[in-house]
Amino acid sequence: MSQMLWIISLIPDMFWTLLLGAGVLAIVASYLLGKIPFVQQYKIPLRVGGVVAVLIGVYFYGVIANEAKWQARIKELEEKVAVAEAKSTETNTVIKTEVVEKVKVVKERAKTQIEYIDRVVKGDTVTITKDMSETERAGFKKKQEELERAIKMCPVPQIVIEEINKAAAGVKQ
Amino acid sequence: MKYLAFVMVLALTACNSVPIKQKFPEAIPELKEKCPDLKQIEGNSVAITDLLKSVVTNYNMYYECGLKNDGWNKWYIEQRKIYESVK
Repeated sequence: MSQMLWIISLIPDMFWTLLLGAGVLAIVASYLLGKIPFVQQYKIPLRVGGVVAVLIGVYFYGVIANEAKWQARIKELEEKVAVAEAKSTETNTVIKTEVVEKVKVVKERAKTQIEYIDRVVKGDTVTITKDMSETERAGFKKKQEELERAIKMCPVPQIVIEEINKAAAGVKQ
Repeated sequence: MKYLAFVMVLALTACNSVPIKQKFPEAIPELKEKCPDLKQIEGNSVAITDLLKSVVTNYNMYYECGLKNDGWNKWYIEQRKIYESVK
């Protein structure tokens, strides 16, 4: 049916107006000219043809109006979809940038902290203490010595390692 | 009656549907990355600082994964809002 409608859509809209007009004229003529003896014999075919022409004309008037309405709706939706797609791409870019930047900060912070721990363990604390006051430096020195003692004297018990590893392993699916 | 039925069927042939489909957007690849497994402590004789480093690494991995999860939630809420705005 859609192919048929497509073929019919190639016919200019003016044709249906003319058909409707011709149909009305034919009906009117069948009544007015019916009294003339020679025309009288064509009265019925003229009337039937007129009614058929009016019906077809009205139907295709409806088709044209309906088509115009749907075309307008399609255009409206196409515009909305285009706007939504642009907005969606923009949102994706914003969220991606946000996540990538934050993850970078977290990774950087982890790296800095691990480097700090390594420096403290190795005793390479010049860069750490360079901006500290005397009191702060003394406090830091005390903490460093405490850590050194803990490293030498307190190895982590095996059961602690096992339990931590167990927790880190989580539940495998 | 049969003429009326014919006219109604004929009238229905003029009906159409809007041939427009809206696609739900593709997710951000960075958000689709799987969260890594937490770091395990290796070896029998482990110094307290190795334990500390492992804890620091795992905490940061959690935050990294948490950020991606927050990103997913935000992405879904925002994209759904946009998707539903087309009607």
